[in-house]
Amino acid sequence: MHIKSSHSVKAAPAQFVGQKSTTSVTAPGETSATRIFWKHSLLFVLIGLLLYLGLYLVAEQLTYQNTVRNRFFAIKTAPHAQYDYVILGASHAVVFDYDDMNAHLEEETGARILNLSTLGGGVTVNRLLLDYFLAEHQTKNVVYFIDSFAFYSPEWNEERVQDVQLLQRAPFDPALAWLLIKTLETRPVAPGYLLGFYQINNPDRFKSDISEEEATRFDKTYRPVKQIDQRRLAYLYPEQVDQTTFQRYLTEFETMVRELHEQDINVIVIKAPLPERVYQMLPAEQQFDEAVKNVLRPYEASFHDFSLVSNDEEFFFNTDHLNRTGVEKFCESYLKSVLVLNQ
Amino acid sequence: MLFNSFTFLAFFTAIVFVYYLIPSKYRWLLLVVASLYFYSIFHAGYVLLLFGVTLVVYLLGLAIGSAQSSFRRKTFLTLGVVIALAPLFVFKYFDFFAASLDTLLSGNETGGETSLLPRLGLLLPAGLSFYTFSCVSYLADVYTKKLNPEWHLGRFTLYVAFFPKLLAGPIERATTFLPQLLSPTRFTPEGVTLGLQLVLWGLFKKVVIADRLAVFVDATYQTPAFASPVALLIATYFYAFQIYCDFSGYSDIAIGLARIMGFDLMENFRRPYFARSVPEFWSKNRWHISLNTWFRDYLYIPLGGSRVSKPRFYFNILAVYMVSGLWHGAAWTFVLWGGLNGFFHLMSMAVAGLKKKIAPNVGLPGPIGTILGILLTFHLILMTWVFFRAASFADAITIFSRVWQAVPQLPTLLKSFPYTGEIYLSLALIGVLLLVEALDEWRAFWVNLRLRPVYVRWAFYYVLLFALLVIGQWGQKQFVYMQF
Repeated sequence: MHIKSSHSVKAAPAQFVGQKSTTSVTAPGETSATRIFWKHSLLFVLIGLLLYLGLYLVAEQLTYQNTVRNRFFAIKTAPHAQYDYVILGASHAVVFDYDDMNAHLEEETGARILNLSTLGGGVTVNRLLLDYFLAEHQTKNVVYFIDSFAFYSPEWNEERVQDVQLLQRAPFDPALAWLLIKTLETRPVAPGYLLGFYQINNPDRFKSDISEEEATRFDKTYRPVKQIDQRRLAYLYPEQVDQTTFQRYLTEFETMVRELHEQDINVIVIKAPLPERVYQMLPAEQQFDEAVKNVLRPYEASFHDFSLVSNDEEFFFNTDHLNRTGVEKFCESYLKSVLVLNQ
Repeated sequence: MLFNSFTFLAFFTAIVFVYYLIPSKYRWLLLVVASLYFYSIFHAGYVLLLFGVTLVVYLLGLAIGSAQSSFRRKTFLTLGVVIALAPLFVFKYFDFFAASLDTLLSGNETGGETSLLPRLGLLLPAGLSFYTFSCVSYLADVYTKKLNPEWHLGRFTLYVAFFPKLLAGPIERATTFLPQLLSPTRFTPEGVTLGLQLVLWGLFKKVVIADRLAVFVDATYQTPAFASPVALLIATYFYAFQIYCDFSGYSDIAIGLARIMGFDLMENFRRPYFARSVPEFWSKNRWHISLNTWFRDYLYIPLGGSRVSKPRFYFNILAVYMVSGLWHGAAWTFVLWGGLNGFFHLMSMAVAGLKKKIAPNVGLPGPIGTILGILLTFHLILMTWVFFRAASFADAITIFSRVWQAVPQLPTLLKSFPYTGEIYLSLALIGVLLLVEALDEWRAFWVNLRLRPVYVRWAFYYVLLFALLVIGQWGQKQFVYMQF
C-alpha cells in the first residue's frame, strides 16, 4: 500500500521535547478541520452501528433457523419450564440426544428430559449450562454422565468454556449475558457474546449444527483399530494425571452436587458403557471412581457404574461412543430403570 | 497480545487516548512504558534481554561517537555488533549450527548423548531478529557519522522497542526515526485517517485473507506425501498470497498505528507480485523493503557491492541472498530459498544482459511483455516459497515431484478436484486483493480513493469492516514473520 503522508510530523523548534511549551499549538484552519473530522467520525460510527445492528438481527435470525443441538439454544428455546431430568456430561452423554433418542427416552420413561451434555464438556462447562438452565427453569433430577478425562485437564473445562464455538449459536439472552460476565472463567468471552460478534462471525451460519457423527455415523458399527484407539485415548487423557488439577475439578464437582442437594435436586451419576479393551486403557479409573463416590456420599447422590455392561463391540460407532443400537439397548436395559426409579 | 486481537484494540485505544492528552514532553515515556508492557505480555523475561541489548548498544553508540581514533571507533563498532548479534546467535542459530556440525562430523543431527555439541533448546524471543538489526544499523550509522549518537536513553529505547514495529518491523533506521522524537506530534485528522485506513487494510489482508488461506495451506503442507497434487498446487499458490497478506498486513498495521500517533515508519511492501523481474521483486523496493535495504546498506555495500570484479559481484549477490535466507530461519531450507532467489536474480541479470547484446530492439509489445514478465517472476518466486514453507528439504522435493508427475493429467485432476466453498471464497478474496493492487499499481488506488466523494470512501471502509466481522478468521493466529 503506497500512501504518502502529506502531514508533517515535525513541528516548530519552540515545541521541542523538554521545552516549556507542552501543548500542541494548532492553527485556526486546523481547528475547523479537526471539528469536521470529529463530526464525520461520529456520523461514520453511527451509520456503522446501525449497519451492525442490522447484521446482528440477521445473524440472530439465522441462529433460530439453523440451530438444533446447541445447548444454550436448547435452554433458551426449551418448551417447558419444568423438567424431570436434565442430562449433563461430555460426548458419551451427547449420543442420548442424537436423532430421536431423547424423544424415545421420554416416551419410554414418561418423563420430561432435557439433554445439555456437550462434546468435551468438563465440570466447568456443565456447571455453566446448569446455572443458565436453573436461572429460568426447574428440574427434579440431574443425571451426570461422568468421564474421568474431563477432570484431568483445563482443556475440557476453562479452555472449553472459552471456546467461542459454544456461543456461536447462543441466541441473545440477558440471563446468559449476566452469567457469562459473573463467571470468572467466561468473562473473556462475555463481550463477544454481548455484542453478538460470535453469531455474526459464525462461518457455519447457513448450516445446521448437527454433527457429522450424528448425521453419518450413528447407525454404523466400528471395527476396532488399535492405533485409532490409542490416538483417541492419547487425545483425551494427559500422559500423567496431575493430582492438583484433578482435585480442583473434583472440588468444583462437589460444589455443584452440594448446591443441587441444597435445592432439593436429586443427583444421579452414571458411567456410560465402554468397550472392555478401551476401559482397560483408562488410567487410574478405579481411584477416580472411589474419589467420585466419596464426593457423592454426603449428599445421598447415587453412582451407577455401567462401564462394563451393554458394551458389545457392535454397540459402538467409534472407539468409545454408543451407536443407535447401543443407545437403545442401554436405555432399555439400564437407563430406563434408573430414571423410572428416581421419578 | 497480537495486533489481530480485541485486547490489542483496547490497549492501543487507551494508549492513543492518553498519548494525545498528556503534554508532549512526556509522550516518549508513555510509549516506552507501553512498548515494554506490550513486549512483557509475550514473556516478561525477554524484556530484560531487550533492555540489556538496548543499553549496551546505547553505551557503545556513545563510545563510538566520542572516540577520537579510528581504531577505537572500529573496536567499539565491532564490539557492539558482536554483542548485539550474540543473543540472536544463541537463541536462533546455536542449535542449528550444532546440529549441522554434528551431521557433518558424525552423521547424527538429533542431539542427545552421542552428539558432539550440546543443544540449548531455547525459544526465540519475539522480535529479536528485528530489533537486533535496528541496533546494528544504529551502530553502523553512528560509526559512519550519518548520525550523532543518541544521548537520551529513553528515546533510544523507544527507537529499539517502539511497539508497533517491535515484533516484525519495519526495520526502522535511527536516521529517520530518532529525529521524529524531537518534534512533538500533533493530532491531525489526515494522519489519523491515513493511519486508520492502513490498519483497516492491513487487518483485512491478515484476518480475512491470510488466516483463511493458512487453514488450507497448513493442512496440505503438514503431510505433503498424502496430499493430492492439485491440493499441493493450490496450497502453494495460496501460500504465496498468505505470506504476502500476513506480512504486508502486519506492516500496514504497524505503519498505520505509528501514523495515528504521528510517526512515519518506512514503507515495507510495494505490490511485490507486480514485479517484472526477480531483481525488481527483491532489490527495487517491492518485497520487505526495510530488510532488503538493510542488507544492501550494511552487508552488500560493505562487501563491495557492484564495484568489484564480476565473480566477486556475483558472489556478493548470492551471499546477501543466502544470509537473508538464514535471517529468516535457522534451517537449510531457508538458506536454499535465499540461494535460489539469488540464482534467479543472477539469471535474470544474465538474460537481460544477453538480450541487450543480441537483440536490443526485439521484444514483446509493452502490455504483453509486462504481463508475461509479471507472471514469470511470480512463478519463479512461487517455486522458492515451497522451500520457505515446507517443513524440510525432503518435503519440498516431495511437493515438486508430486506436482511434476501429475502435470500430464493436470486438466483432468483439476476438473475432478473436490473444490469447497472455502476454496472459492479464498480465490475470490485473492481476486479482490489483486484488483486493488493492480489499481494501485497503475491508477494510484489509495490516493484516488481519498479524492472520491465521501459516500464512495465510506462504502469501501464499511465493506472492509464488515468483511472483517462476517468472514474474518479471528482465532488470533500469530503473524508468520513473528517467528523469524
